Amino acid sequence: MPFDVLRRLLGPLREPVATSRYPDAEPLLQPATHGLPEVDPTRCERDRACVAVCPTQALRVDDDGWWLDSGRCVFCSACALACPHDAIRLGSRIELASRDRRDLVVLTPLGGPR
Amino acid sequence: MGDDGPVTARSIGEALALRLGRSLAVSGTADEVLVSVERTEMRPVVDILQGLGGRHVMLVGLDLRGLEPTAGLAVEEILAIPDGPIVRIRVELPVEGPSYPSLTSLTPAAQWDEREVRDLLGITPAGHPDPRPLVLHETVPGLAHPLLKVRPAGPPPPAEAYHPLVAHGDGVYELPVGPIHAGVIEPGHFRFSAVGESVLHLDARLFYAHRGLERLVEGRTFDGALLIVERACGVCTVTHATAFSRAVERLTDTIVPARARMGRVMLAELERMYNHVGDMGNICAGVGFHFGTSQLGWLKERLLRLNEGLTGHRFLTGVAAPGGLRLEFDPTALAGLSRAVQAIDLDIRRVVRLLVRSESFMARLHGAGVVSGESARQLGAVGVAARASGLSADLRRDRPADGYAELDVPLVTAAAGDVAARFHVRAQEAAVSAALVRDLADRLPEGPIRAPLGHPPEIGASTVVGAEGPRGASWIWLMAGRDARVERLHLRSASFANWPVVVAAVPGNLVPDFPLINKSFELCYACTDR
Repeated sequence: MPFDVLRRLLGPLREPVATSRYPDAEPLLQPATHGLPEVDPTRCERDRACVAVCPTQALRVDDDGWWLDSGRCVFCSACALACPHDAIRLGSRIELASRDRRDLVVLTPLGGPR
Repeated sequence: MGDDGPVTARSIGEALALRLGRSLAVSGTADEVLVSVERTEMRPVVDILQGLGGRHVMLVGLDLRGLEPTAGLAVEEILAIPDGPIVRIRVELPVEGPSYPSLTSLTPAAQWDEREVRDLLGITPAGHPDPRPLVLHETVPGLAHPLLKVRPAGPPPPAEAYHPLVAHGDGVYELPVGPIHAGVIEPGHFRFSAVGESVLHLDARLFYAHRGLERLVEGRTFDGALLIVERACGVCTVTHATAFSRAVERLTDTIVPARARMGRVMLAELERMYNHVGDMGNICAGVGFHFGTSQLGWLKERLLRLNEGLTGHRFLTGVAAPGGLRLEFDPTALAGLSRAVQAIDLDIRRVVRLLVRSESFMARLHGAGVVSGESARQLGAVGVAARASGLSADLRRDRPADGYAELDVPLVTAAAGDVAARFHVRAQEAAVSAALVRDLADRLPEGPIRAPLGHPPEIGASTVVGAEGPRGASWIWLMAGRDARVERLHLRSASFANWPVVVAAVPGNLVPDFPLINKSFELCYACTDR
């Protein structure tokens, strides 16, 4: 059946491209994706509920703001679940590699000390 | 005795008393029985229980001094009685020169457990046929007996050297492979003794990735230990997290809400599905059939993205937890789950159909790495490795927990015990998992996802819980300590149970078939080594 052979040969051309253009394009993330925890400074009440539950001691809150050591974070979402003000969510940042260990510690300013 | 009714704690106590000529302290429930015996009674008791159909699950070593400074050490041999309870046979041992008669000659499946107990606690299984070190390597000295709660006085004993078991004779050569491999895979050293192309004997050395996880979780809260247990490997995360959670729930009489019980089943089946698909792809890689590897690799990727959309994590970590589930499923992803799984399921069937019709591919699979049903039973094979050799072993049916008690999971088996059989079992089980996920996604009960623990666990209370994962049955042995913390945890992963089966499947095959045979089991090193 020559038609059958032709169909089999040309069929794959109609297949959509399965891969994405990452890293040239944005990574394909989904709304639920657990990236690095993010704090909403307008909601944070500095009660340190997140600091208390963090199983890897990756969080610290001081006068400068909310410190997250992404080198210790295991993306378990305990901080987000513990926050009574719903100020923390696991965001969409997934590109975390760094050449310097110190750059893994990220500060989110919370506004002046209370 | 099996003729006159089900095996219960009482009937086990009666059978043992009759044989040993004394009554034994037997305690427990319909699911789990604890029997304390003297060291000399251990082998007779195991023998009697095997006569009742009992199968070795694991052997755990304990140091009881963490809770009671004047106590000693102990070992527990655990057997599962079909249609009956889990029986834990505990023998207490002195701190000085702890030793018990080895069980390996009675139940070969205990061979690695006994070597592990010797390494990690210094308990000697007297008369073990292969008393070489297993877990600890001489390259990391000073680690002797890390699970002892009290460090012995004096300097640690020197690390024992490891001598691979090799064959000798005219024309026999040795072929060392690993621990560093060409692919991005985990470390293991394989020493082949071969004649021409045929393997005479294989000596496998693992535990290069031993991280001391069981020691690491001691003293942690249950939530803290969960993080480590579910990350013991990246294959059976839901399985290990669920088994651990159910162990905690049993020690605290926690009732898990319906949505969580069904949700855990859905997660477990998603985990099984993406693993089975990936494992079939790896079997294709084992024979260099890249069409199958890429097609199934892409299907696995689609399943991982489904996982990510549903739970936020491609490998489903961080969801199952003591009391139920930590996170609610993403509502949009859940609404579309059934349809997405249906589409992927159809594509899996399409690829599998192409593969099984490829004669040159299937010719490599047939007859390679045969494990007879008898070997599988003797060596304690679990999961696909057991079912592809004709054993009906599936904890989802044998000891249904969570939502499985309300579901009828069809048992998939094959008789041949070769690579092809393991391929077919996976293909059919992936289809079963797809059907289960679709069914549950459409009718997940509404309501809360997590219940608080019923009460704090009793200090020293312990239990054993198993869960059927992609590699087979994984078991958690858990003892609670003070302040609701972990006193001792043992993870008997499915891969740990199946590694000796891989080793037994290889002799008689061609050396170049080893990657294929190994991939047909596709075992984890990470959760074996812990």
